[in-house]
Amino acid sequence: MVHSGVVSLQGVTKSFGSLTAVDDIDLTIDGGSYCCLLGPSGCGKTTILRMIAGHETPTSGEIQISGVSVLGQTPVQRGTAMMFQSYALFPHLTVLDNVAFRLKMQGMAKRERRAKAHETLEKVQLNHLAERMPAQLSGGQQQRVALARAVITNPQVLLLDEPLSALDEFLRLQMRGELRRMQRELGITFIHVTHTQLEAIAVADLVVVMDDGHIVQASAPEDVYARPTSAYVARFMGGQNVLRGVVQSVVGPTVTLRSDQGQIFEVDSAQISAAAGDIVHLSIRRDHTELEKSDAVPTQPNHVVGKVIAIEYQGTYVKVTLDAPDNREFVSHVPDDKYLAQRVDVGDQVVVSWRAADVHILADDHRKSESGPDLELAS
Amino acid sequence: MKSRNLIPYLQAAPLAIVLFLFLAAPLALVLVVSVFRNKLFVGLVPAFTFENYFSILTNAVNYQLYLSTLKFTVIVLAVTMVLGFWIAYFLVFHVRSLLIAIGLFLVCTVPFWTSNIIRMISWKPLLGREGLVNTALINSGVIDQPILWLLFSDFTVVLSYVHLFTLFMIVPIFNSMARIDKSLVEAAVDAGASRWKVIWNVIVPLCKTGIGLGSVFVVTLVMSDFFVVAVMSGGLSGSVSSGVFFDLGILNYPRAAANSIVLLAIVVLIAAGILRVVDVRKELTG
Repeated sequence: MVHSGVVSLQGVTKSFGSLTAVDDIDLTIDGGSYCCLLGPSGCGKTTILRMIAGHETPTSGEIQISGVSVLGQTPVQRGTAMMFQSYALFPHLTVLDNVAFRLKMQGMAKRERRAKAHETLEKVQLNHLAERMPAQLSGGQQQRVALARAVITNPQVLLLDEPLSALDEFLRLQMRGELRRMQRELGITFIHVTHTQLEAIAVADLVVVMDDGHIVQASAPEDVYARPTSAYVARFMGGQNVLRGVVQSVVGPTVTLRSDQGQIFEVDSAQISAAAGDIVHLSIRRDHTELEKSDAVPTQPNHVVGKVIAIEYQGTYVKVTLDAPDNREFVSHVPDDKYLAQRVDVGDQVVVSWRAADVHILADDHRKSESGPDLELAS
Repeated sequence: MKSRNLIPYLQAAPLAIVLFLFLAAPLALVLVVSVFRNKLFVGLVPAFTFENYFSILTNAVNYQLYLSTLKFTVIVLAVTMVLGFWIAYFLVFHVRSLLIAIGLFLVCTVPFWTSNIIRMISWKPLLGREGLVNTALINSGVIDQPILWLLFSDFTVVLSYVHLFTLFMIVPIFNSMARIDKSLVEAAVDAGASRWKVIWNVIVPLCKTGIGLGSVFVVTLVMSDFFVVAVMSGGLSGSVSSGVFFDLGILNYPRAAANSIVLLAIVVLIAAGILRVVDVRKELTG
């Protein structure tokens, strides 16, 4: 017996003419979990959502919900409900009739379905607006009406297409908390498409990072954020500095890397089975770095030096950006008390260092030496 | 300061002048003439009398004309509404390419590239006693005698009206239908609506303004017509306007004016009734 609400995609491909929007995807989403499909626009995440919802048919592959193939079924047969990006509330119906719409389609009598709609509106605290028209509601209220309309028939899976993108920052934070609370209360599977990294890791149990029709990483939010498997994910999620080096030597527990600019990085060998000549990408969290104002170039490994090019005060920390060794920005987050004790200015020469234990290897971008130590990687 | 106050009036002036010259003034003239007296061999005699209205409202023939006009209006309205809705529906929701939709839309206007008379006369070779339809039916053995009511009958009148006026229904319905957010249709399907339920619960309510506007066009066009009904019924049917036309022919201007005022009042009432049901302002302001 498969847990109800499990969504599983096997080898799903979707092409529009010559364009492949989704390319051979395998993904399993646990029943009753909150999954975020995350990626830049055009990466295929909305297409996946629409295929699960039954508004788009895969070119090939299999989609199962609760262990049953749903290809060819209507959304209602699938037990899914979708919340549309612009909410798609019916402008000619009151809030109450919008929420009751699914029940009306099932043929439920007016009195009954209105009573049920009142109950559902109660859950999103909008009962007092039941007789309003959608155009008279604020964005946040419309969003809650759309949520109530989608969940009134207790679907197994709720599909949310960029549900928060039309809201302002403040409401977005409030509503994402509400979505998570609703998901816990209902205990059903939520699949939420977004292009906002912080939104995804804030609400999801499973974050699926996508790029160009492929899944690049699907794991728990803390793994996607702190332990990305590729430079793409590390850069896309933010909060990380990505560096590159060629393996010089492997001595005991220490792998020594040398960057194109001649910097030496040391990495714990437990993370990687590397041989001399391999190209390795590594990431260091911005908040796991130590910034010091200094003109001297230190002798110990695991540091970069550079000029400060931007300083942004963020409240609990200060974001300091340097011109980086490989012409990419290197960012260090300095706790605000520390920064206030030792201020730096734009143009100052600084050294940023980190502990070898804080280095994370981007395993998917590890290139073995047979492809040549000087191979330039596209990232 | 003073000249600045004038500017809004100046801006409104062109339309006000046009409306005054071509709507208010003629209407006032008709209204004035409708209470004049008509004297045989003399013509108009200024007076203030309601006898023209009395004559119209007590005339049994006139009631027949009103009934006949209303009958044509109701039938034509029903047929053009159904046709207009489905043609617009097809163009908006089933033709995927915008270019083809615009092309088909233009095809709908092709009849309007010729004059009214040619459009009506062209039915004759098709529907006449020895026309295409009758000949085909006789030759294929379906009937022995030509069907006479095909031409010069109420059927022909309705057919011509539908032919002439369906476009006036298609355009406003197309206009309001094209503005329906396609995600609403998807949301309805997601909620379990069948195709018919989508049409009935989502598309029809959201096209109400277009249907209302089209109805106003068709009602006013049919109710004010005397030409189509005269030509296509072969003189067998008449309309209120034919009554007016007849009075004009015998130079009874006061009665013609009074009849026009009564007809105008009825058309305005019907249009007001339609506009009460649908809020056309929504359509005009978007």
